[in-house]
Amino acid sequence: MEGDRTLICHRCKVKLVKAQTSFEYLGHSFHSDMLRCPRCGQVFIPEEIVKGRINEVEMMLEDK
Amino acid sequence: MGKVIRDTFSVCPICLERVPARRVRTGDEVRLEKTCPVHGDFSVVVWRGKVDHDEWLGGAPAIAPGENEACPTACGLCGEHLQDTCCILLEVTSRCNLSCRFCFAGGGDAHDPTTDPPPGRIREWLSRVVRPGKSLVHLSGGEPTLRDDLPQLVAICKELGCKYVQVNTNGIRLARDEGYVKALAEAGLSFVFMQFDGTEDGIYEALRGRPLLATKKRAISNCALQNIGITLVPTLVPGVNTQNIGDILRYAVKSSPAVRGVHFQPVSFFGRIPAAPRDEDRFTLDELLLEIEEQAGELIGLENLAPSQCNHPFCGFHGDFVVMPSRLVPLTRRGATAPAGGAFAGAASGSNGCCCGSVQADRNREFIGRRWTRPRPDGAGHAACCGTGTDLGDMEYFLRRVKSHGFTVTAMAFQDAGNLDLERLRRCSLHVCDAGRLIPFCSYYLSAWQRA
Repeated sequence: MEGDRTLICHRCKVKLVKAQTSFEYLGHSFHSDMLRCPRCGQVFIPEEIVKGRINEVEMMLEDK
Repeated sequence: MGKVIRDTFSVCPICLERVPARRVRTGDEVRLEKTCPVHGDFSVVVWRGKVDHDEWLGGAPAIAPGENEACPTACGLCGEHLQDTCCILLEVTSRCNLSCRFCFAGGGDAHDPTTDPPPGRIREWLSRVVRPGKSLVHLSGGEPTLRDDLPQLVAICKELGCKYVQVNTNGIRLARDEGYVKALAEAGLSFVFMQFDGTEDGIYEALRGRPLLATKKRAISNCALQNIGITLVPTLVPGVNTQNIGDILRYAVKSSPAVRGVHFQPVSFFGRIPAAPRDEDRFTLDELLLEIEEQAGELIGLENLAPSQCNHPFCGFHGDFVVMPSRLVPLTRRGATAPAGGAFAGAASGSNGCCCGSVQADRNREFIGRRWTRPRPDGAGHAACCGTGTDLGDMEYFLRRVKSHGFTVTAMAFQDAGNLDLERLRRCSLHVCDAGRLIPFCSYYLSAWQRA
């Protein structure tokens, strides 16, 4: 996790803020708070979230 | 005159010799037809056309010339078997405390506990087939709970590295012996598969020889006390309990999260059977699908039940759901398939899916292991799953709720000497451990019929 570091958008040079972000997979929609640029909307998803929670959701939905 | 839609192989029901066979379509019905040079012609219905046969079959290939020529005699597994082991089934006793009309294992012929294989031998057998960190073992019988040392056998499985340990049982001892259930839980039992033929005692009297509904309910309750997930397993016999399918499902959903799902098994004619079957004695997979929709359509849609991918599509189906306070939410949608590695990895690499045997068997095992295991009742999890939230769109809530209230509707259509199709058998992933060898279930239990 990012800990005490402040993350900024590479393009806009503004601080990322937590915002509800939508995901869709295999016809199911989810939302979770992720860091997002308030200007351009670019979302930052940390690797540990992808390999952790998001991977878990995928496994729960994937076919046998 | 029917049309041959697929050439395959089967066995003669009388002598069990391998014979060529054909799947023949007449109207909507599909039959398996074969001729034994000694015992003559045989024909059995395998699909009644309630669901589109070709669509369900999908792209499952026929047996090509020269393929699987030693099937089924070279079992153990032969080098041409097309599927890895998803589950290992091990008979730990031939004794039983029931004498059922139908019994795949022909159980109950033994009464002497000294005929049970000792724990040391079981350890030796399993050590040859268990893959540490991966295997799912079914302890079966006869009735495995007749063994007082069953908790010790569960512990042996865990010591050998089995990821999941399941007991297949009629539930009689689980109902009356809470201490035994506790010992099984403490030994590391993962979940229970319990025979559950219906919600009316008349069904049990017809199939099992006595009323058992109250016993089944107590078994569910005792497993719940120990946080052991339990899946209900009806054997479906036309005219006995096929009209009870909807009630079974509704009862099972109401009993979530203790009950993790229902696993339907249309009656098969091997082991102990009352008589060789006629067509009207059979209940095909597509008939089951239609009955689920007709009897429990408010809970489950046909589009949420998908053909088996780990085994052959005609071997069964699966549907994955989450039990919510006022509805059953489907997670499975027929036709929706995941990209390899998940949404992120697939998009990044552009790679195609791997459908090789061991990957599919591993995935199948993990799917059922995750669903049928009840999560530990820690404070945070319990509060979250039983709180007032109902938003499955919230990722965190979804993950907690699926773990606590996941529910599966599955089916397995075992084969017998009448309808055995080697195109299916070669893809079987349920393997019986026979003194350290692995034999596909329908091959191991294959038994000849007596000629009338």
